[in-house]
Amino acid sequence: MLRALSGTTRFILLLLALLLSVIFLLPKQTRSVLQTVGQPISAVVFLPIEALTTLEQSVIGLWQEYVALRHVREDNRQLRRDLEVLQRQNSELRESAIAAQRLESLLEFKEQFVPHTVAARVMGRDSTNWYSSVILDKGDRDGIRPEMGVMTSAGIVGRVVKTGPFSSIVLLVTDPHNAITGIIQRSRDEGIVEGTSQGRARIKYLPLLANIRVGDIVVTSGLTGGFPRGIVIGNVLTMQKEEGELFQSAEIAPQADLSKLEEVLIITVPRSLEAQSDVKSK
Amino acid sequence: MKQALYAGLILGLVPFQVTALNYAGIVGVRPDLALIATFLIGFLSGGIEGLLMGVLLGCVQDLFSAGSLWVNLITKGLIGILAGLLGRHLANATPVTVCAFLFVLSVLSGSMTAVWIRAEDNLTVVPHIIQSVVLPQALFDATLGAVIYWLMPGRRRREAEFGDDMALFGR
Repeated sequence: MLRALSGTTRFILLLLALLLSVIFLLPKQTRSVLQTVGQPISAVVFLPIEALTTLEQSVIGLWQEYVALRHVREDNRQLRRDLEVLQRQNSELRESAIAAQRLESLLEFKEQFVPHTVAARVMGRDSTNWYSSVILDKGDRDGIRPEMGVMTSAGIVGRVVKTGPFSSIVLLVTDPHNAITGIIQRSRDEGIVEGTSQGRARIKYLPLLANIRVGDIVVTSGLTGGFPRGIVIGNVLTMQKEEGELFQSAEIAPQADLSKLEEVLIITVPRSLEAQSDVKSK
Repeated sequence: MKQALYAGLILGLVPFQVTALNYAGIVGVRPDLALIATFLIGFLSGGIEGLLMGVLLGCVQDLFSAGSLWVNLITKGLIGILAGLLGRHLANATPVTVCAFLFVLSVLSGSMTAVWIRAEDNLTVVPHIIQSVVLPQALFDATLGAVIYWLMPGRRRREAEFGDDMALFGR
């Protein structure tokens, strides 16, 4: 059969066979070679992604403005009513802010814990259907490295798994391949938070006697990964306690809306300054 | 011309897939444009072109996915070769046959990926993933691929040539 093929075809097939053998025999080395080869390709392909995202944002913006104009009079009336309410709330909030500032300086909160973050824009989603991941517009050149944690103001989003010169891939907390340590905020019971195939998350390996209730907040424990302690993961939806099992688990609804991500924060220094100074003093 | 088209596909197909195609997802599953393109190139232009384009498109796809860096490179390359073999041995291809072949190859490629992911993480439930990802994506790929094939000018030329050949034999 091989004799019937031309010289070029045979050469290409031989190369492919060689490539396959190398990949299966030396998976780790192949990964690093592919990573190096992929860097310039990733940089070039990222340009059309950036262009398409900008175009997409413009189309969405135009559409939203058009829809808004259709109901502008009704919205205007509603906004005036809202303005009155907001003005009252604003004055209350100013009072609260002054009080908070005072308390903050008293407790030296800022010196205790300020995670270093880099803001990034979500450019797209995973190129396959196999993983729940998003592509960010910050990469190696911005100091982003694999295993860094990613969050929004609402809660955690996931962790960086791959980086290119100008982009990085973040595996979402709802992906079954993701695992981070979390604790139930109220009871302080610790477990492992993993994604589920239904697009939610689950906290596993909780002690059988752990007191968990629906609505409990689950936060990061800060023991592993690129997350500091105390960042919200989500709320407990349901609990599972099966007979004969050594542990119980609970389904969690992530607090950050992972289907509508636009801007995120990448945590570049996960540990708190306090923890760092503790380590230094030891 | 062909080279420009191939360069455009390498630079534009995966960016389109990760951005605009998100709106085309049904129950969270989107068609795999790189797979469809590789199949059609292999089917119409031969196994070697299919293999090379499959490897290149798969490589770019792997760079923008959370998975291993070579899974798509291998599966897409294999699809290119198989599509070339099918195109070489099939005298009269119609959108229906393209749809059927694309479905089978998409299921094959998806199953290979599922088995590999299972081997890597030891967590994935293969039957569940075949039911929830592989089969819906294969249906999507097959339908979209058949529509693209039906719209392609190259296919019309190929069918016209086939018609002329048949006329020579008195049909």
